[in-house]
Amino acid sequence: MITVGIDAGAKNIKITFLKDGEVIATGISPSGFDQNAASEALMNETLAKVGLTHSDVDVICSTGAGRKVVPGAKHVLTEVSAMARGSLFLRPDVRTVIDVGAEEGRAIRCNEAGKVEDFAVNEKCAAGSGAFTEAMARALEVSLEELGKLSLTSSASVPMNAQCAVFAESEVISLLHASTPKQDIAKAIHDAIASRIMSMCRRVGINPAIMLVGGVARNVGFVQSLRTAMEEEVFVPDNPEFVGSLGAALIAADREVETATA
Amino acid sequence: MFSKFETWYRDRHDYAKSWKEKTGGKVFGCFCSYVPEEILVAADILPVRVLGNHQPQDVTEPHLFGMFCPFCRDVLAQGLKGRYEYLDGITIAQSCIHLRQAYNSWENHVPSSFTYYLPHPMSVQTPAAVPYLKKELDNFREAVEKFIGKELTTADLDRGIQVLNENRAAMHELYSYRKGSNPQVTGLEAMWVTVSSMWIDKEEHTAELKRVLAELDSRTVERETGARLMFVGSENDDTDFIRMVESVGATVVVDDHCTGTRYFWNETPIMDDRMEALSKRYVERPACPAKDHVARTRFPHILQLARDFDAQGVILIQQKFCDPHEADMVPLRSYLEENGLPCLFLEFDVTVPLGPFRIRTEAFLEMIGEEDLF
Amino acid sequence: MTKYKTEPLKCWPKAKELRDKYYKDYATAHERGGIRWTGGAWSFDAIPYGLGDDVYPLTGEPYAASIAFNREFSLECLEATEAKGWARDLCSYMRNYWGSMYLNKFNFGGPYPRPTFAFQDHICCSHAKWYQVVSDYEKIPYFNIDVSVGPYHTVKDQPHKIQYIVDQMHQSIEFLEKVTGREYNDDKLIEAVKNDCRSTSTWAEICAMNKNIPAPLEEKTMYSLYVFGTLSKAKKEFADFYEELRDEVQDRVDRGIAAIEDERCRLMSDTQPPWGFLKVFRYLEGFGAISVGSLYTFGLIGAWEDKPDGSWGARTTPMQKGQAINTRDEALYTLAEWTLARPEWQHFYNPNLKTEMMLRIAKEWKLDGVMLHMNRGCEGLSCGIMENRLGLVEAGLPVMTFEGNMGDEREFDVGRTMARIDAFMETLELQPLTTA
Repeated sequence: MITVGIDAGAKNIKITFLKDGEVIATGISPSGFDQNAASEALMNETLAKVGLTHSDVDVICSTGAGRKVVPGAKHVLTEVSAMARGSLFLRPDVRTVIDVGAEEGRAIRCNEAGKVEDFAVNEKCAAGSGAFTEAMARALEVSLEELGKLSLTSSASVPMNAQCAVFAESEVISLLHASTPKQDIAKAIHDAIASRIMSMCRRVGINPAIMLVGGVARNVGFVQSLRTAMEEEVFVPDNPEFVGSLGAALIAADREVETATA
Repeated sequence: MFSKFETWYRDRHDYAKSWKEKTGGKVFGCFCSYVPEEILVAADILPVRVLGNHQPQDVTEPHLFGMFCPFCRDVLAQGLKGRYEYLDGITIAQSCIHLRQAYNSWENHVPSSFTYYLPHPMSVQTPAAVPYLKKELDNFREAVEKFIGKELTTADLDRGIQVLNENRAAMHELYSYRKGSNPQVTGLEAMWVTVSSMWIDKEEHTAELKRVLAELDSRTVERETGARLMFVGSENDDTDFIRMVESVGATVVVDDHCTGTRYFWNETPIMDDRMEALSKRYVERPACPAKDHVARTRFPHILQLARDFDAQGVILIQQKFCDPHEADMVPLRSYLEENGLPCLFLEFDVTVPLGPFRIRTEAFLEMIGEEDLF
Repeated sequence: MTKYKTEPLKCWPKAKELRDKYYKDYATAHERGGIRWTGGAWSFDAIPYGLGDDVYPLTGEPYAASIAFNREFSLECLEATEAKGWARDLCSYMRNYWGSMYLNKFNFGGPYPRPTFAFQDHICCSHAKWYQVVSDYEKIPYFNIDVSVGPYHTVKDQPHKIQYIVDQMHQSIEFLEKVTGREYNDDKLIEAVKNDCRSTSTWAEICAMNKNIPAPLEEKTMYSLYVFGTLSKAKKEFADFYEELRDEVQDRVDRGIAAIEDERCRLMSDTQPPWGFLKVFRYLEGFGAISVGSLYTFGLIGAWEDKPDGSWGARTTPMQKGQAINTRDEALYTLAEWTLARPEWQHFYNPNLKTEMMLRIAKEWKLDGVMLHMNRGCEGLSCGIMENRLGLVEAGLPVMTFEGNMGDEREFDVGRTMARIDAFMETLELQPLTTA
């Protein structure tokens, strides 16, 4: 059986092909303005990559902010369920999933069966999301990748308030004015986001093992800050941005099995 | 000259812990400046105002919704992080909803052997307020008596009242040194003294203050006074901010904050009925905006302070999301400006962005300075 | 095949007519030589009724909610208030109301009808400040009664708490006589107090009927009905209407008439809804989920008590108990005592009191989950909401939160809220009915 999970995120669309429990292909492309068209193009591109056609695919399950416009999706699921399923597949002992994407941060608490027990989403403000790190990188005039690496070279602890993205940006500017070294500011930014994410996690309660997923998990500076704030090991899978599409593909397969045995 | 106050301000917890060790006494955390400290002092309890520490934190989000003020979150964080673990009790006098939540969450999650929510009239202008508060203070007194295991005598209450009044008188004297053309006391120094008076044993604080007062006449002030400013607004104990303001050509000469003049401005009157005297004191003190209705008594009081201390401009400081102050800011600003006092409005968070605030302050000072040309 | 039979409420047209008449009567009061006053939904509106039968209130919260429902005008009002310099995070009802006043536009047509006086009570930080601004701007006299004396369970043994309120009420009558030049009629006061008790108790009776499965009412409909208690709980017409409504809802229960056809999941909400987006409640129906009410719809005006069988039910009125109310002082005392028991006043002192009531509702109304609206528009009802969340979760109830604003649509993200509901429905293992 081949199932496909499509995670139509705010910034990128991710796709995962699953054959009998094994990932056979993944793909990623920018969401652009037309998520429907972008999903279709990514689907065709990935099909071509593995030499399959539409008719080889048994079922498609979509997730992500644009999940309702993904063509051909039989199942439509929120990121909360998809991330939980994908994370537990990668590490069965995961009980807390932290997903930090372009626009939203999310904390999910699940039980050993993978059932979501509680979840929290960062409210209203972008201060705990990928968009925030991008804005801060711009303020520091470095690339996102450099921002992460810079941060690792600092051991300073500069307090910064990330209750609000606008306030945080003005604090970065203050720090620049005060000639604070860039690496210390980079670390302050990551510490601040980590603190914001920690706040959100405390709402659902933090149970090990903890897995960090979503595109921002690629930011080494943020991962380091989060590990320090958690005082716990935080696992980052190899392809953190694909956990949602993986989860969707897995749930699609689960449901096919359920229907078949029902 | 003020180094002891600076140390007290900074090392508040060390002081309280050593006070406990030295005296064997009890320490209560007070969540609002409306708590009648006289009753605690009468009971040999050290009242300690619970304030934040201006550091970002990640522990309050499960307890306080983000629409409430940064101050209440900062206060609660101190409790959740165990920084006040030496407290024997906590109490709040009812004022704003924001701080009330910090108290409620603290009560729920930080173990305390004594907690007391003191209902306090919100309409302090009604004639019904004094008799009502008197009864509530009687209840509070009884709860404290039960806690210490003995009744408070009139002599005890007199001592509480006297200790507080003496400190208030000394604070007034300190402030009088800020009135002249070359103030002998900076705003930062005054902040150390006022804020520390909220947790230092009042008699010890008064004694140290009297020592400083005796030296003040002969103090030579080398700094330029610059523009004379007044601070008005929400809770403010941010020394970094006032230090910045006084480093760019200004001196803060007076304030209207609950961590400033509102805390000590009026004394408890001498009356046969001590509890009624206390009730009058807390009803008639300069009002928090949460209690300033239906008439706006704050405005003429603030203007009078500005005139008495010869302020040239006002920095309006508001904790982000602070509803009571937000509900006063617009008419207050017009009122002050109509009376010749230019205003700069700044919104405070747990930490303030000093760089952008410096630029705004400098621009404001230039604006005030320009008026002298005409 | 649907699970239950449903039908529209028969008294719905009458409700609409009564509400329209309320605003029209207010706007045209002066044509009949009547008196207009403004104040909060929680004001002691029974007291001004002692001035005569031609006294018409405009209560700020429901008026502002009606503005918020009218999204285009709401934005105009909010912007007018911001143009005066007011902060965007103040109470959004207050900002809508002020905007209507500043623009001199009444949401029901014509200019903002200037009141003769403002008459408010105070329990949240914004209450007294709201009409301070109205009083300044319209240059009208203003009286405010502070009611924040602590939770009801502490009132019983402490008569001074009620006395404080009663003292202010007596002063308020002197104020009313002075500013209107009318002589005060205690008999009319006594009647109005009885109407207050009757309407608030009857509303609770109606809400208690939603304990039935299927629920005869869903919360979106209840919003249009509870409003009379916020417009004028002491008005005879409204107290009578609630009795009529109660009889109809009882009839629905007897005949098994449901609010929604496929009820399979019972929820409660919390705090005021985002008024411009009541479609959230319709969205729930797509999952067979129904909000059967909330502490807000039940307890904002409803009067409740513990019944002998331990359940929560409508409070027995002084009239039902056979207690006479003969004098002004007795009437005021009854009114103060009756009102202090209001469920939505208790959490102002301690969130745990609200959590207890919510858990009680969850149990007695047989709920499967809770949706907490973290309402940036109302500090009073959002007060303590995170502690409520913790308490409910600890008790094992599934809880979802969504952030928004009852009266400022700029703070409500409808797409994200629906996504949040989708995720919550998934955790409750509910699939949309259409694809099931």
